[in-house]
Parts: sequence; C-alpha cells; structure tokens
Amino acid sequence: MTALLSIRDLVVNFHGGPEPRTLIDRVSVDLAKGEILGLVGESGSGKSLLCRAVMGLLPSRRLSVDGGSVMLEGRDLVRASTADMLSVRGREIGMIFQNPTSHLDPVMKIGDQIAEGIRFHEGAGGREAREAAVEMLAKVGFPDPSRQYDSYPHEFSGGMRQRAMIAAALSCRPKILIADEPTTALDVTIQAQILELLLDLRESLGLSVILITHDLGIVAQTCDRIAVMRGGRLVEQGPKREVLAAPRHDYTRMLIGSHPSLPAAGEAKPAAAHRQARPLLEVDDLHVRFDVGGSFLRFGGRKQVSAVKGVSFQVMEGDTIGIVGESGSGKSTLARAILGLTPLSSGHVTFDGVDLAQQPGRALAKLRRETAMVFQDPLNALNPRFTVAETLGEVLKVNGMPSADIPGRIDELLDLVHLGREFAGRKPRSLSGGQCQRVGIARALAVNPRLIIADECVAALDVTIQKQIVDLFAELKARMNLTLLFIAHDLAIVRNLCERVLVMYHGEVVEDGPSAEIFARPQRPYTAALIGAVPDIDPDKKLLAPRSDTAPAAA
Amino acid sequence: MSAPAVRLPVSRGLSRWLGEHLSLLAGAGILAFFILLALAAPLVAPYDPVAQMADVRLQPPSLAHPFGTDNFGRDVLSRVIWGTRIDLQIAFIGVAFPFVIGTLLGTVAGFFGGIVDTVFMRVIDIILAFPFLVLMLSIIAILGPGLASFYIAMALVGWVSYARLVRAQILVLKNSDYAVAAVSLGFSRARIMFRHLLPNAIAGSLVFVMSDAVLVLLNGAAISYLGLGVQPPTAEWGIMVAEGQPFVTTAWWITLFPGLSIVFLAFAFSLLGDALGDLLGVHE
Repeated sequence: MTALLSIRDLVVNFHGGPEPRTLIDRVSVDLAKGEILGLVGESGSGKSLLCRAVMGLLPSRRLSVDGGSVMLEGRDLVRASTADMLSVRGREIGMIFQNPTSHLDPVMKIGDQIAEGIRFHEGAGGREAREAAVEMLAKVGFPDPSRQYDSYPHEFSGGMRQRAMIAAALSCRPKILIADEPTTALDVTIQAQILELLLDLRESLGLSVILITHDLGIVAQTCDRIAVMRGGRLVEQGPKREVLAAPRHDYTRMLIGSHPSLPAAGEAKPAAAHRQARPLLEVDDLHVRFDVGGSFLRFGGRKQVSAVKGVSFQVMEGDTIGIVGESGSGKSTLARAILGLTPLSSGHVTFDGVDLAQQPGRALAKLRRETAMVFQDPLNALNPRFTVAETLGEVLKVNGMPSADIPGRIDELLDLVHLGREFAGRKPRSLSGGQCQRVGIARALAVNPRLIIADECVAALDVTIQKQIVDLFAELKARMNLTLLFIAHDLAIVRNLCERVLVMYHGEVVEDGPSAEIFARPQRPYTAALIGAVPDIDPDKKLLAPRSDTAPAAA
Repeated sequence: MSAPAVRLPVSRGLSRWLGEHLSLLAGAGILAFFILLALAAPLVAPYDPVAQMADVRLQPPSLAHPFGTDNFGRDVLSRVIWGTRIDLQIAFIGVAFPFVIGTLLGTVAGFFGGIVDTVFMRVIDIILAFPFLVLMLSIIAILGPGLASFYIAMALVGWVSYARLVRAQILVLKNSDYAVAAVSLGFSRARIMFRHLLPNAIAGSLVFVMSDAVLVLLNGAAISYLGLGVQPPTAEWGIMVAEGQPFVTTAWWITLFPGLSIVFLAFAFSLLGDALGDLLGVHE
C-alpha cells in the first residue's frame, strides 16, 4: 500500500518558557489513497495540533516544527515555502472544523464561500466557479443547490452548515480531507448523516480522510485504520478491527473500556421496591412559551414560541430519570422551569406537595433549598474569582450553617466527589474540566438536595472523564438515595445510569418508560431513529442514518 | 555555590516579569513621582507659589528659577509643584464619583432589566444627547465657579460611560451558568449582584478609569482655563497655561512646563490603563 501522505518523526515544540516544551513527539503515520484514518485521543493529546502542523497552520508563533517530515507525493510540506503551502491548502488538502458556525463567514453567501476557493485555485471565471459550486452543493446533499447558493449561513441548520463547510473544503477536489471533530457539535441523528456523507464522498471522489474524534464509536463506524494519540505521542496504530478487538496499549484499552456503548437488550435494573404514595416531583401539562420579537415601542405583532408543550410526568423519591432528545427539543427549558428559573406559561410543577404556580413564594423557597443543578459547561458554572472552598462555603453559609462547621463540611464534600482536600484553595481556571464538574457536583450536594437536575453535565468532557463522572453519579445515587433528573443527548450514558427515560421531541414527551424497554422496543419512529444513530463501537453494528428530509413523526 | 544556582531562575523570572510589565512599571513610577511631589510640595518648592516678586517678572529659566518666572514674578517651578496637588485631586475625585455611581447604577440596570433598565438607559441617552463640555459648563454656570461645582458636574455627567460599560457586562454575565447556579441555590439578589456578577464585570471599567482620568484631567484644566474651575491665584496647571497664553511667543516657559506636566501625568494614566487591561485579561 503506497502512502499518499506520510508523516515521519514529526516534532512540534512550544517555545515559551526557558526550555522548549514538546507537544508532538516523533509522530509517524501514513495515509493511503482512499483511506479513512481515525485519529483519536483526549483533548490536549495533540491530535488537532498534528493536523495543523501538516497544513502549516500552527496556531501560535511560539510553536514550531522542529523535526521530521510530512511527505505529500514527493514534496516535504515542512520545508515548503509559504507560497507553495498556499497551493497545498484547499487544493491538495482540505480541512473542516468542529464548529461550522464560527468557520463560515456570516455575511457571505454560502455559495460564494465555496466558489471563492475555485476561483483562487483554478482561476475559474465567475460563472464557471458558480456552476462548480452549485455542483459541489448538490454533491454534499443540498436539496436545491442553485437557489441555496445565494443563502447565508444563518439560514441553515448546524448539519447543513457542516455540509457547506465540507463543500468548501472539497471545492478544489483535494486528495486529502482533514476533518477535526466534524460532528461533535451536532445531534446524533445529524452526526450519522454527516458521517454517511463522508463515506459516500470517499467512494465517489476517491478521497483520503483524516478524521479527528474523541468518540471511538465514530471511528468504529467509519474508519479503516486507527491511530491513538496521548500526550503528543502516537501510542498505537493499526487496522480498525485489530485495534478495537485486541488493543495493545493500556491507554487504548482504557479508551475502549470507557466508551458508553449500548449494552445488549435485557439486564434491566431492579426498580426501587418501596414506593411512596406521593411523588416528590409532579409535572402536569406544563407549557413554557417565550416571546420573540416585540420590543419597548412595538406592542403589536408579538410572537411566541413554545419550548415546552404539555409535558406531564411524575418523579418518585430515589428515582433516576433520563431526559433525552436533540438540541432544541426543550430538555433544558423543562429543567429550568421545574427549578423555577424560567416562568411557567401554564400547567403545574408540584415539588413535595407545593405547587409552583399557585404558591410561588413558598415553592421557590423550597426548591432553592432542596434542589440543585449541575451544568453543562463545568468551567462556566463556577465563579472564576472564587476558590473551591469559597464556592462551597458560600452555599453553606447562605443555608445557615455556623461558620465554625463550614471547613469540616467542605472537606466532607470534597471527599464525596473524590477530590483531594488540597483542591480547596484552587480557582476554577487551574482545574481540569472533570475536576470543575466534581466541584459543581459538590456544590449541588452542599445543600443536601432531595432532587438534583444534571443538564448535559458530561457533554463537554472527554469520554474517560465522562465515565468517571457518570460513575460518581451512580455511586452517589446508591449512597445517598438521590433523586436525579439526568438530561443528556447521549443515549448510551442515559441507558447505563437511568432506570427510566423520557424522550422529548419539539417540546413534547413522545415516549416515557423504563430504559431497558424503550431501548429494546422503542414505540416511536423518532426514538428508534435516535437509538439507531448512536455510533456503536462494534464495527459490525451498522450506523442507521435517518434520511435528512423525513422528519420523525411527533406525537 | 548552590545558593546562586537556586536564585538564578527566580531573578530571571523576575526580570522577565518586569520586561512584560514595562508599561505598568513606567506608569506606576511616573504616578508615584507626582504623588510624592504633591505630598512634599512645601519641602521641595523653592518659593511660595503665590508670592509676587516685581523685580523678576518674565525671567527665562535660570539657576535661581529653573522654570523661569511669570508676568507677576512668581516662580513657575514652585507653581508647577504646588499645582500637582490640585491636579491629582481633580483626576482622582473627578473619576471616583462617576466610577462608583455609574458602576452601581449599571449593575442594577443590567441585573433587573425590564422597566428599571429602560428608564436608566433613556436617562443616559438624554445625557449623551448633549455635547459633554456644553453640559459641564451649564451645570458649573448654574452652581457657580469652583472645584466643588466641577466635581458635582463630573459626577452628574461622567457616570453614564461607566453605567453603560458595566451594564453590558452584567447583561452577559447574568445568563452565565454560575449566575443561574447562584439563583438556583437560593442566593439573595444583592449577593448575586455584588459578590458574583460585579467583581467579574468590573475589569473593563477599571481600565476605563485610567483613560478617563486622562480626560478628566484635561477637562479640569480646560474648565480652569475658561475661568470656571480653580480660581487664581491658586497654582493649577490649567490656569497656568491660560495665564501664560498672552506671552506664549515671548515667554514660552510659562505655558510649556505646566503643559508638559499635564502630558506626563496623562501619559502615566494611559500606561497604567494599558497594563491593567493586560493584567485583567480585558484585551483577550
């Protein structure tokens, strides 16, 4: 197998301190024609940096390639001149990124952004470039490309924007596409469509792809070979099936072990035996509507959108309930409405017998004392100016704990979430994402809550850290009889942690029942599509991408 | 032998720190010099700043009078040194009141939003609708000339910039997860506003304080120049520039030295503002 792109002993150093710090340490990897190479590793492992080094786009002047070579068809890109690299980028190697919104020009027509590269690299005239761009848009799945050429990025959904980015990257028919976490910001169903598109394009254009991802499931579904990076080194590489079936390196084994795959059907968790007569939380025909448009001087024409439409369910003490659905399905709004953080439009939220709509004062006071929330972005959820001890201590103080008892309780909380007591004096900025999330959980536990709502609390974390946090929740649940509402878009995690699942779609609960049952026999096509779109780590369980145009039928 | 080997990285770290914070050091240095000068004015000023010496009128700089003398025979160096007291006071007080008032009102407007916010913002629009200097002059004209009137006028007009800056920050921060977390944990509004949001919102204003101090200083000088601020014969840089103006072609030293002092003090504030911005991460 001849390599199209051959990286040999590449070294990238950071020249900031007195000694240069090695960020990429003698990495060698090959990419064959028509091959999809999966580059996996945690954030900070150097996988994105490696690809940027290949493109000659190191993100800082303090970074430099200090050794090795990147051979592309007989030329060494490390030693290529700036002018030569201009013709390599886009023409030989295209690149797409995690967040299509920030990498597309918001004030430029989608089509023009694609045509721009064609005009620059191939010297095509305006009309030819437009034709080529329209053709490209059709190829990446735009249903009406000649009309959509003139649309702006904000007129498209995240999935379509990512398609547009792919079109722009492929507009000059590069031989290699580097895709840096292309689906991380997308819903599972959209992710499945984008991955399928990449596979199609590989077939039709003979494209080689380097796919950077942290999700081994995606690799298992799409890639031919896997390269695992950790701390700037390549710890393992090989054909997909070999690496997944018989990982040689401990780290690869741990990555595979942390992957939240859907377990086979069966294995239902025993339901809590004792049931109280009264539910801890009861949501009855809840509606939440937001005003859109309308301002100080424009009274007429006020529009409303419904984020939550007629949701009803009950939560018993000690329950763990997962709420799943795509972004925009109203999961977070529901959570905020339950906690009294977003006003209810109609319906009832009853917490421990007190109705939030009828006795707002009493209910809010009770909710604030007896519930807590864990957030998606762990760093942003902590006040950057407070140390861990100050963050926790403040909650305790506000809840009336005598100041003499506070330090002891802080130590206790840190122990509960398995953080060393030495973390008490640190500020969020010096903590990792996982550590911040542990502080967030400790803060939630500080009030001795009866109900914790975790809103996508592992979505921003690496898989290995995700597993640790989910394990922590499972442990706390068993130890403290916590009632937990766990909101997530990752079905596998919900499946493993929660006894019961609510599936939300467009503000409504379309399915509600025991996890095992819903995952084994989903009643609604929407739920089935969600489950089918989760990339499984077993390469033989094929990904089922729902067709983009058949919107799942809502109830 | 081992002691220098241990100390070396520390001193190198220190020198690098100094290198990276050159503007902080220079700004703080110049400001400290002026503050010391103001405190030590009676000790270092060679003459009485208001004493008129008829025999040495309009003398060019010499050993006896390094900055020369003005048309009343007063020593310019002594007047510049004594003027430091007044001009530093103008910069500090002229900024302090708008900063405190604007920050508080901006925090409240941003946090509560709705009608409170609308009212504050419209008031700000009204104040901004007038040219700054015209508004200042009218307020001082109503209150009567003098430094106290100047400070009151500054407080009435200057707070709007701070209010807008802080309000914009608060609007962003009040939707951040840690603010929502604070609400969900039952913290009082005052605690959320002043313990959680304000400290995180204030960095931009602190930087603006420094550039604002420059503007206030120049304003104070301009108001005094127009005869509405500090009254003669008090030594103040703005008045000194005004008094020297008729003689600028024949006795340049009367205007040059107080003018340079204004420039240097303004420069110090600018440097400090820049350095503060870097330290607080405002430029990121």
